[in-house]
Amino acid sequence: MAASPQAGRVLSAAAETSTSVTRQVHLRWIIALAVACGAIVVFFPFFWMAVTSLKTAPEIQRVPLQIAPDHWLNFDNYIEVFKREPFLRYLLNSAIVASIAAVSSVVVSSLAGFGFAKYRFPGRDIFFLAIVGILMVPFQSVVVPLYVWMNDLGLVDTYMGIVAPDLVSVFGVFLMRNAIEVIPNDYIDAARIDGGSELKIFFLVILPSVKPAIATLLIIKFLWSWNEFFWPMVVTSSPQMRVVTMGLMSFTNMYFIEYNLLTAAAVISILPILVIFIVLQRWVVQAVVMSGLKG
Amino acid sequence: MRQWYRIVFPKNYLDRRKRAGFLFVLPALLFFGSVFLLPLAQSVLYSFHKITPGGAREFVGLRLYEKVLTDPTFWRAVGNTVQLLLLSVPTTVVLALAVALGLNRIASLKWRNLWASMYFLPFATSLVAAALIWQWIYEPVYGFLNYALSFVGIAPQKWLQSLAQVLPSIAAVSVWVRIGFDTMIFLAALQSIPGEYYEAADIDGASAWQRLRYITLPMLNAQIIMVVILELIFNFKIFDQVYATTQGGPAGASQTIIMLLYDTAFKFFRFGDASVMAVFVFVTLMVVTLLQWRLLRRPVEY
Repeated sequence: MAASPQAGRVLSAAAETSTSVTRQVHLRWIIALAVACGAIVVFFPFFWMAVTSLKTAPEIQRVPLQIAPDHWLNFDNYIEVFKREPFLRYLLNSAIVASIAAVSSVVVSSLAGFGFAKYRFPGRDIFFLAIVGILMVPFQSVVVPLYVWMNDLGLVDTYMGIVAPDLVSVFGVFLMRNAIEVIPNDYIDAARIDGGSELKIFFLVILPSVKPAIATLLIIKFLWSWNEFFWPMVVTSSPQMRVVTMGLMSFTNMYFIEYNLLTAAAVISILPILVIFIVLQRWVVQAVVMSGLKG
Repeated sequence: MRQWYRIVFPKNYLDRRKRAGFLFVLPALLFFGSVFLLPLAQSVLYSFHKITPGGAREFVGLRLYEKVLTDPTFWRAVGNTVQLLLLSVPTTVVLALAVALGLNRIASLKWRNLWASMYFLPFATSLVAAALIWQWIYEPVYGFLNYALSFVGIAPQKWLQSLAQVLPSIAAVSVWVRIGFDTMIFLAALQSIPGEYYEAADIDGASAWQRLRYITLPMLNAQIIMVVILELIFNFKIFDQVYATTQGGPAGASQTIIMLLYDTAFKFFRFGDASVMAVFVFVTLMVVTLLQWRLLRRPVEY
């Protein structure tokens, strides 16, 4: 029985490992549960918005509160939203503005990205630093002179006026420069030897090789512009030029808010973004991680 | 100068290529110059002028600075903004870090992606919609929050309509909106930490806390600083949520700097006063950003 103390030690060590393994398994489940609970709490306002939009005005004023709507397929609020306000026009305005902003941003940013990444010209690095430095300028610091200019140019209350400050973003230039920088110079030189002009190289060599970056920029720019509120509010005056975020505000006032209509309008305003988000989730997440740069 | 001359009048192939490069970046330069640099200069100029709504300008030196910077309304708005910052920035960053650490521990990719996208969803919605949904949840009589709290015996609160609760209530909306964005950045960084570090720590018998304290957090140092600064900037410019819900009320308790700037410029058309605030916001954020660059250049200690 000389071996017994040693055997005992081995056994107790094994027991210790097995308890620590079960403890680890427990911990894993606790973490997963906590993460899931948090996610449900974060998601809840969306659920609550959707449910409220299916209720009638008397239903949302019931005490005690009732979670489920009486009729799950009651879409009257949605019809009322379109009757009460030109909401279709608001959606159209937002779509126009966001699309112009996204496309123009891709065009100007990829041109600039190409110039900064693959050419040498005097002042190049200073220009690039200056553009990155723009990140420090909050839009609110330039809004008054911009409004005065828009007024002078007659662009107040026009699509061009709404979209003007959104046409290019620093993030886009930065993103495209980084994407184009990694294209091997050999490709570009080969195209030059074949006699392509610089612009032709841009369209036939550069653009096809940075499709992922283009997709990223299109999505994030569309999202940003769609959700824009401050500048559209400053630069529009007539109801038919309102964008969708402003349209939401027309269902509120200081004293009495019809939340059943407001939530229906909010669902409508979020839906297009949600569709983009679900269909293109991989790109969106990538875009957001990279957009950490945007101030 | 000679270099520029040769770009405008290229002599040979190389000059032409340089010119092509410059022409490629020119549209972006013109845009940023005219939409940010010139208006910024003009904001500074306006801040020294008294401007009537008709457009007549009169140079008044530093008088407007004196007027705005001694105005208690202005400092109240600054104070409210700072309070909002202090409430929401640490909460967002700590929660996002916790969520990212938790998500990183979930082995099943399918579930991890599902939970991650639920945290992320608020970021994709407009701030106006987010604030209005929350206003409905905060509603004192019919809102969900008071209903939920009634089960744990808490009496109905007035939330956005209460002087004491309005700032924390608005800060909570900002946390809700931003948590997913910060989580994504942390999660991406966590996944790039080499697994060997943790294996080595296991061999040395490090506890979970020690691994977090001595490996994970130092490896995330750069991202944490970046996220804190981004949140500071985002929350300093808070406008949409306040405008959509309280409009600065009740009794100015949630008035923020940008709200005041907006009202001054576009409700009362005092462009000069508003420009002083614009310069104030610009200088403050510039200092914060420069601080970020200083902090980020400091080497990470292991």
